[in-house]
Amino acid sequence: MDKAALLLSLVLAQTPQADLRCVPTGEDFVYDCTVTLTRSGRPLEGARITVGADMPSMPMAHSTRPAKATPGTKPGEYRARLDLEMLGEWAIKLRLDGPVRDLLVLHYEFDSKGASPSKR
Amino acid sequence: MFGCYAATWTHVNFGAGLLLLALITVGGAVLAGAYVERLCFAPHRGGSAIAAMVASFALWMQFEELATLVMPRHLYAFPLLVERGPLALGPFTLRVDALVTLAVALIACMLLAWTLYRTRFGLAVRALIEQPSAAALAGINVPWVFVRVFALASAMGGVAGYLVVATHGQITPMLGMWATLKGLLAMMLGGLGSLPGAVIGGLALGLLEAHSQWYLGPQMRDLIAYLLLFVLLAARVPWMTTRSAS
Amino acid sequence: MDDYALGVLTNIGLFSFIALSAYLLLIAGEMSFGQQAFFGVGAYAGGILTALYGWPLPLAALAAMALGALAQFLVALPTLRLRGLYFAMATLAAAEMARILFELLHWRRSIDGELAGPDGTQGFRGIRWIFEHGIEPLHYLGIVGVLLALVVGLFLVVERSKLGATLRGIGQDPELAAAVGIDVQRVKLGVAAAAGALAALGGVLYAHHNTYIEPRNFDIMLGVHSLAYALIGGLGTAFGPLLGVLLDIGVLESTRFFQGYRMIVFGGLVAVLLVFRPRGLLDERMVLWIRQRFS
Repeated sequence: MDKAALLLSLVLAQTPQADLRCVPTGEDFVYDCTVTLTRSGRPLEGARITVGADMPSMPMAHSTRPAKATPGTKPGEYRARLDLEMLGEWAIKLRLDGPVRDLLVLHYEFDSKGASPSKR
Repeated sequence: MFGCYAATWTHVNFGAGLLLLALITVGGAVLAGAYVERLCFAPHRGGSAIAAMVASFALWMQFEELATLVMPRHLYAFPLLVERGPLALGPFTLRVDALVTLAVALIACMLLAWTLYRTRFGLAVRALIEQPSAAALAGINVPWVFVRVFALASAMGGVAGYLVVATHGQITPMLGMWATLKGLLAMMLGGLGSLPGAVIGGLALGLLEAHSQWYLGPQMRDLIAYLLLFVLLAARVPWMTTRSAS
Repeated sequence: MDDYALGVLTNIGLFSFIALSAYLLLIAGEMSFGQQAFFGVGAYAGGILTALYGWPLPLAALAAMALGALAQFLVALPTLRLRGLYFAMATLAAAEMARILFELLHWRRSIDGELAGPDGTQGFRGIRWIFEHGIEPLHYLGIVGVLLALVVGLFLVVERSKLGATLRGIGQDPELAAAVGIDVQRVKLGVAAAAGALAALGGVLYAHHNTYIEPRNFDIMLGVHSLAYALIGGLGTAFGPLLGVLLDIGVLESTRFFQGYRMIVFGGLVAVLLVFRPRGLLDERMVLWIRQRFS
């Protein structure tokens, strides 16, 4: 099992990290979001990201259509428009394709001003 | 839950006094109850109680989604029942809203008991429970009785809901799930189909939860309540399992 | 086919497992509101084994299924003699207990300086076995599909066998079954274990598909949904629960038309169907009719 742990640790060091910043648009519960993707401290470029959302406290209750992200202005930045049905805590799922295949789950609190990381 | 959300909607959009909100909660609850009764319980009357239960859970899903559609924020503030702080009575500290809740609950139970045992309507209800066919033959308008029973039950639910939400000062869509689970727990603990049982069950559950939470924390509180229910059911304790409910 | 469609199809497959688990118990005459607990057991067990101890997924899945079977067996043991509503309440209580236990579960292990593993209410992130082994979404869908096909095939075989008749007999009329000499308790316990394993299989696959699970994923809603899938889809055939899942996730979740109203429509559908078709769309009569039409 040590070899497995070693393999795991090697892979984990390469896990992409993501950060989310969202700004409300005029429409109800629609947000313009910017995802910043890094890996091992460096911006991760060329990834194809699909952004989905689920509400942890009401699983399966909402059907948010996943949005494909487009590359933003800075390296490692991607933009997507999220159409949520409600305010509150959401589990944002980033499905990565491209140089890295992965699925990241981030918890953010969405309110009228934008999104802030959930205090967990 | 429907009642509470109706009141919240009124409050958020128009602002309203405590009494009006209470009335709206109860009224809303009765409306919801009528809907549930017509769709879930009337059709399954002679048949499977479980089908009715599943159907009512399905309608609960509807209400939950409806609430989130109409009131999209996950949490809303609800006007508090009582503004002043807790009373100090000797060595005890008592919350005024808890006292009010207890008082209202006891009054409601007494009213209910009076209705069941001292009115014609109550007589009809008890007759229906004991001997449904004989009751129908005796000329009791069975569907109308059920409608009124449901209205009564929903009204009680509305009152309870109002007290809970006003005590906590907030409402979320999870209220429906919480109320369902606690209600079922309390009722089962006291014994299905027994009025004094329901009261005792509710009080016992409250005491059990309060003590568990104090000593062991909120998760153990719920765990212990469910564990108790499970153990009692498994042991097939007579007071819980004698009424036929299949 | 884009990732979203693949995800939806995979979800349909995953929830079919728990729907089938509820279905199995239903035809044996028991209505369980608690299958979500065993789904959760499978998810946590499988996740812990692959993410914290490096087990390969197939092995972890088998272990998860065994654990799920054991768990449901243990819950069934004291409760199978309970009638309808009481059994349902017992399963509900057991499932909520399981969920609370998940909230209390902290099983953290340091993997290269970072703590990983279930962290109570914070959930269990980083179940990344399929990503670490380069399994594409399409392949995973294939795996789920093949496993589901195997399970459904198994169901179809059993339905036509003596065991199947025994199960349905017990479901319809337990006293008669006992009178004919069937050990109703033993069969029901076996059914319970099988249902637990089935739900757990769904759970472990779900955990790896999502890479993240938390106790809230396994609440009463999931249990009610799986029951509803079986009840709406039909109790006449293993395809019934699949139909139920398809109706909810396939039609309601995915079409724009129902956006935001899915639960209202689904809930209403369940209530209405229960009045007119208490054994679902593909109930025994419908299945018989189909068989006669096509033979």
